[in-house]
Amino acid sequence: MRQYALRRMLYLPLIIAVVSCLTFFTLRLPVSRDPVAYHSTQSTTVEQQEAIRKEFGLDKPVLQQFVTWLGEVARGDLGKTFRSNQPVWPEVQRRLPITFEILALALTFSTLIGVTFGVLSAVKQNSLIDYCARFFAVFGQSIPEFFLLVLLIVLPSIWWNYSPPVGGHVSIFEDPWENLRLYVPPAVVLGLGGAAAMMRLTRSTMLEVLRQDYVRTARAKGIAGHRVVLAHALRNSLIPIVTLLGSQVTVLFFGSVIFELIFSINGIGQFFFVSVTTLDFPVIQFLVLYSAIVVVVLHLLVDLSYAVIDPRVRYN
Amino acid sequence: MAARSPVATTGYDWTFRRRPQRRVRRLGRLAAEHPLGVFGLVVLMGFVILGVLGPYIAPYDPRELRAGQPFAGPSLDHPFGTNNLGQDVFSRVIAGARISLVIASAAVFFGAGLGALLGMAAGYYGRWVDYLLQRSSEAFSAFPALVLYFLLIAAFGQSPKTIVFAIGISALFSGNRVLRGATMIEARSTYVEAARAMGCSETRIFLRHVVINVLPLTVVLMSGALGAAILAESALAFLGLGVEPGTPSWGIDMSGQNLSFARLGNWHIVVFPGIAISLVVLAANLFGDALRDIWDPRLRK
Repeated sequence: MRQYALRRMLYLPLIIAVVSCLTFFTLRLPVSRDPVAYHSTQSTTVEQQEAIRKEFGLDKPVLQQFVTWLGEVARGDLGKTFRSNQPVWPEVQRRLPITFEILALALTFSTLIGVTFGVLSAVKQNSLIDYCARFFAVFGQSIPEFFLLVLLIVLPSIWWNYSPPVGGHVSIFEDPWENLRLYVPPAVVLGLGGAAAMMRLTRSTMLEVLRQDYVRTARAKGIAGHRVVLAHALRNSLIPIVTLLGSQVTVLFFGSVIFELIFSINGIGQFFFVSVTTLDFPVIQFLVLYSAIVVVVLHLLVDLSYAVIDPRVRYN
Repeated sequence: MAARSPVATTGYDWTFRRRPQRRVRRLGRLAAEHPLGVFGLVVLMGFVILGVLGPYIAPYDPRELRAGQPFAGPSLDHPFGTNNLGQDVFSRVIAGARISLVIASAAVFFGAGLGALLGMAAGYYGRWVDYLLQRSSEAFSAFPALVLYFLLIAAFGQSPKTIVFAIGISALFSGNRVLRGATMIEARSTYVEAARAMGCSETRIFLRHVVINVLPLTVVLMSGALGAAILAESALAFLGLGVEPGTPSWGIDMSGQNLSFARLGNWHIVVFPGIAISLVVLAANLFGDALRDIWDPRLRK
């Protein structure tokens, strides 16, 4: 297993190389948009434009730019943002915990709800709870999360003349109660879509596992019902659940951007969004690269967890 | 297959008369078994009709200022009320169907269609086609959908074309993955071996046996991708990255200024476009689920 993990880690630099190439050259194709044009107004002279181009480092040939950028990144220098001339890493670093908390809360919630109701609805197949859970699962997968977030701030304002607080970030270490009050309701809403997908998957996997012989044997031996379901059946349904969990993190990136924009939270999502609309190349390049690394490591962790869940799994 | 006789020279083709009836009965049975799928299809067709005939159905021009008093609540004249400019929300929701459906279906059709073709080629011919596609698919899997959309929008600007391209690419790789697997299974099946033993050419086996048998899966794939494409399109429009501001689009009409007006009590401005998106995605998902139940033998119980 260690060997497998090491071999997979060898792919990481390769994927990072491919991703950084794709990102860098997509932004600089002849048909791509020009940040200099974005930063100049009608009164900007050609000389001023050239000065801006030089300041951004976009005046050199693309290949030379690429090599320079690679060298800087390898030495830990991520460059400065175009729009405020600030170093990229501190800007990203101070926003990371905010987005991380949103993702963690939403993921925790969606997994708890999804797995709980998936198991319940598989154990009590065709009961009222099963029908309700399936009904909500179909809806949960169809309603866009931004609509749910919009409803979350619009509905209370109609019903109780109260608007949930929008904007402002309180660190969880300074005032945990206030922090959770701000973040939990939107994170719950954000997790609903994931919960629906998780519920459907858990239900179908559990139904399959519960039909197997060893479950009947376990019951025949007189093991308590809840133990059969949780320790025997659920344990063997975990592999697809963990796989889905891994892919849900990337799906939540989207939700997190929308969440941060609606609630004016200054996290990575909002930062990324603003950088895209203002053509802030250094930030875009770094964030694409960063999320690619996160995704690749996540996939690796998911693959490695299979052996922990099911000792029969062997890596070759 | 046996119904079509190779020597149908008697002038009166019985098979021709019988087959439509049998097909209609079979369709009826399928419909009865999948009421939710039928509901999805009907709603989806309803939205398609709205998209095509929108301008003739809508009571007002969606861009007409002061079609009514600004911020009027839902009434008989304006079923969904009016927005801050006095534009009729009902007419805007109807007009939004066209943009949403055109962008989403263009992305799904080109993306998933091309992906399916490539997947079939990779699954059947293997070798370098397969190798190339698998490696690019792996590189692509490192991009979460959002990151890909953002990168392409930064590079190529905020236009419907970019959105179609971006959503299409993600559909392309999922189409490629699904069809590659299915084609590989078909290509190794006994009947293909039999056809080869009978001396069919590779092209004939590919087109007449393999493609025909995985084609339904392409339709299943496309209908499943449609809901996701509509969701992605409306979310990007909500972020202001899709069509131009001011265009009647469900995502745009729920965002920015309209959202602040909604917080002040004009809920109808944002709630109705949201319901429209949810309904059309729900319909597409239900229809896609039903198609998958019918056509994907691996999931058949």
